[in-house]
Amino acid sequence: MTDTTIQPAGTSELPATRKPTKIVQRRWGLLLVVTAAPHSNDVITSAMRLAQAVLDEGKTVRMWACGYANMLTQKAHGDTKLINTRDPEGFYPSSAHIVREMLAANPGKFAWIACTACSAERGATDHIAEVRFRSPLRFVSTIEAADQTVFIGGA
Amino acid sequence: MADYRVLGIIDRGYRGAVEVQFFDALYGILDFRQQLSGVALALRGAAVTVAIDEGDYKPVVEFGPIRIDTLPDYRGSVRQLIAEGVPVMVDEPDLRALGFTAADLIEGVQCLDTNELATRWDEYDGVWFV
Repeated sequence: MTDTTIQPAGTSELPATRKPTKIVQRRWGLLLVVTAAPHSNDVITSAMRLAQAVLDEGKTVRMWACGYANMLTQKAHGDTKLINTRDPEGFYPSSAHIVREMLAANPGKFAWIACTACSAERGATDHIAEVRFRSPLRFVSTIEAADQTVFIGGA
Repeated sequence: MADYRVLGIIDRGYRGAVEVQFFDALYGILDFRQQLSGVALALRGAAVTVAIDEGDYKPVVEFGPIRIDTLPDYRGSVRQLIAEGVPVMVDEPDLRALGFTAADLIEGVQCLDTNELATRWDEYDGVWFV
């Protein structure tokens, strides 16, 4: 354990060479905000295809899941969907599994954000570990950290 | 099996792909068959397109190295319903509005006028807007 001395504000004596650290927010190429619900239309698939197309161009992508889009990454899904009674031996990956695979395939280039408020409102707060929670209070700063933002509605 | 006959009506065509896979509206019709003494399907609105006969679509999407080849195959499901003896009907004006005719439909699909479709409702114990 290291001893730490806490000094009153304004009395710290930093070495002359040490300057206060400026926090620089990382920039992203594209922010995709998706508020549409899964199982409602093809928006989720389109958003994921758009994300992949931008990744294929060598750019970075951040997905911000709003509303029921937060259901996609719930741990409760496991790795596979429920059993297909008409094809019990078939392998059908869950949405959580697909998102996890996409994140693993694009380390540092693709990120998935779960809106804390939307998740809590829907009782859907148990996301897979790869997903990052972010408060809607940081929504605009997240937009500002991206070169482009595409807001896909439909909640 | 219950002595209960159902007409399933589907108006809205596409309800997801990556997250849905086999679990689409037509799977519901196929899967409920065991519990019912009779089931039929009526397609209206944009949903009429699921009964269009074409073979170009492949239920596959790729996200980089991740290949998912289990996307919904609506036309395959319609073919399956026909093969299993389930009546599949399409609203003719809605089909025409989208630029198709009865000749574009999967073999076995019936093309009926809106009013004629509505008169069939009485033949069923339940009409479900799926």
